[in-house]
Parts: sequence; C-alpha cells; structure tokens
Amino acid sequence: MKKSAAIAVLFLVAAIFLSLNVSIYALFTRRAVDEMTVEERKNAISLEDYLPFADGTRAVTVKSSLRFSDGDRLPVLDGASALYPIYASVAASVYPEGSVTFENGAFADGSAVQFRNTLRAYRAVADGDADIVFCAAPSKEQREYAASVGAELELIPIGREGFVFIVNENNPVNGLTAEQLRGIYTGKYKNWSELGGPDRMIDPKTRLAGSGSQTVMEHFMNGEPMITGRAFGFLGVSIGYSFRFYVEAVPREHTVKMLAVDGVSPTAENIKNGKYPLVTEFYAVCRKDNEDENVRRLLDWLLSDEGQELIEAVGYARIK
Amino acid sequence: MRERTFYILLAAVVALGVTVTAALAAYTAYEYENCSIITYIATELW
Repeated sequence: MKKSAAIAVLFLVAAIFLSLNVSIYALFTRRAVDEMTVEERKNAISLEDYLPFADGTRAVTVKSSLRFSDGDRLPVLDGASALYPIYASVAASVYPEGSVTFENGAFADGSAVQFRNTLRAYRAVADGDADIVFCAAPSKEQREYAASVGAELELIPIGREGFVFIVNENNPVNGLTAEQLRGIYTGKYKNWSELGGPDRMIDPKTRLAGSGSQTVMEHFMNGEPMITGRAFGFLGVSIGYSFRFYVEAVPREHTVKMLAVDGVSPTAENIKNGKYPLVTEFYAVCRKDNEDENVRRLLDWLLSDEGQELIEAVGYARIK
Repeated sequence: MRERTFYILLAAVVALGVTVTAALAAYTAYEYENCSIITYIATELW
C-alpha cells in the first residue's frame, strides 16, 4: 500500500471519530453539563447559601415565640431541595445555634437539619430517621413504602407554590392552556407549530419518578398516560416542569422562561391570590405516631402567624 | 508502508476512537442523569 494512501485512510478514520465525538458533545453532553459560573452558583439554591447561623446566610429569621434550647430534644428536619430554604429558615428562627453542623459539603450525623431530597426524605421520615420532612405530596410508591414499614404519614399543608412549565428563553411561545400542556405530555401535540411556535419537534422532558415535581405532574395529568420521551427528541425544542421558586432562585446567563397557563403568568402575586391555576400545596410531613412534644409544638408554630410569616418571607405563598 | 504496519496503526486509531467515544457517552449519560432540568432547557440550541 502506498504510504500516502495509508496515511489518508488513517486520517479519515480519525476524522470520523472526531466528528462523531464533537457531534455527541454538541447535541448531548453540552446540554447536560451545568454551565453555571462561580458567580451564578452563588445565587443558586445550595446548602451552604442557606446554612442556618452561618455568616451571610440567606436563611430567613423571623421573630419567634417558640425557641428551642440546647437541652431540648430537637426534631430532625429534612426535605425537598426546593423547600430547603424553608426548613433551613425554620432552624435559623427556632433552633439553638450549634444544632446544625455542616462538614465537607454535607450535614453531619447528629445535625438537626439534614438534606436527603424528596426521594429519600420520605423514606427517612417513615423509617424514623427524620421527624419532619418538607415536601410536595408523596407519590403512590412513597405512601406504599411508609405503609410497608408500618408508618402512617401525617401531611400538614403549610404553604402553597406554583407548579410551572418551562421552555427556553428563545422559544416564542409564552403561554399554553392546561389542555394543551396535557396534550404535549400525552403525545397529542408533536410539533411546536401546532401550538403557535416554530416548526420544530416538541421534546417533552419528565422528571425522576418519586420526585416532588413528577408526583405533581402525574396528578396534573388526571391519570392520562404520559409519554416518557421521543425518538430523536434531543433534536427538538424541549419543555419541562418544576416549581416557581426553584426556577427563579437559579438565575443563569442562559435561562428559561415560565409559561402562562390559561392566560395567567405564574408570578408570586398570581400564586398568592390564586389566579394562577396550577398552585400546589406543600407539606410538613411526620409519622402520625410521632408523639414527640417538640414535633407537635413545631408543627403548630408553622401554622401560626409567625410560621406563616416565615413561609412568605422565604418567597412562598402562605397557606393561611 | 507495509500492510501489517498499516493494519496495526488502523487498529490503534479505531481502538482509541471507540474508547474516547465510549467514555464520552458514559460521561454524558452520567451528567444527563444528574443535570438540572433548567440547565438542559436553557442550553438548547436555537
């Protein structure tokens, strides 16, 4: 074989692999890698940002008539990431300094605040590893798990939040009806042009089963089966869902916009006054048989004027 | 170039290409499982 031909073949094969990898990166990898800058990360919900009692913490403190002291048995708090600012603020307002310990990027064993997120928080409260978890309503599986370990969950609504649908900021669609949104997730609508948008495939994104937003979405679908993705959907234009606070608390250079639903934008005001149609309650959840006096005192406090003031001060809508 | 040498070099290039592609695919799958929905939608190509 001629040397020049052999080298050309080798370069061609290398070029094919290079093109393949560049394409994979551009179409898939780049979108999945978090591109937040250090500055942007400072504005995102992070455990450190809302660490109770830390200097410069974003945790809110309110004047509280309930104040636990070092000698008290402190209820262990846990919950969803979107609600972490609330239970961090509860600890900052009610718990004694030193009750929350944070080491190497995580809460230490024995800390009165823990962070397991919705999926594991429900398990933790059922198992007795957490006293009160702050979450959206549990999924069927989470209820079944609790029942399997002999736990009956008590759900106390403590606030309200908007469930929002999000698209890329460049998407010209600004709002959809609830029926159109359901139609996207049943597969009825396949192209944005059917909904007043560009002639591009709709890529409906779903969330992890058991997460708070996925459980709310399943409820929103009224039992209609959801499609779980579309072949070559990555070439289309996506839509997803989350909670308003979580979307707004994570400002980025490239961002998303929240869609109006039935003509109403998910502003804090519209969620508070009930005009926005997709408002969901969130809960303080404990085991029904948890008779710890301080657990009951804290639950009562969350529903008091002081507790509700805290919910509102963090950025959510009060339940009362 | 001797034919044997050519095939050894070709096998090396293909092996390297497959390894890099597999690693990138695995990394992408990992990141996709852990990325936020906001990041995914915000970085969409327009």
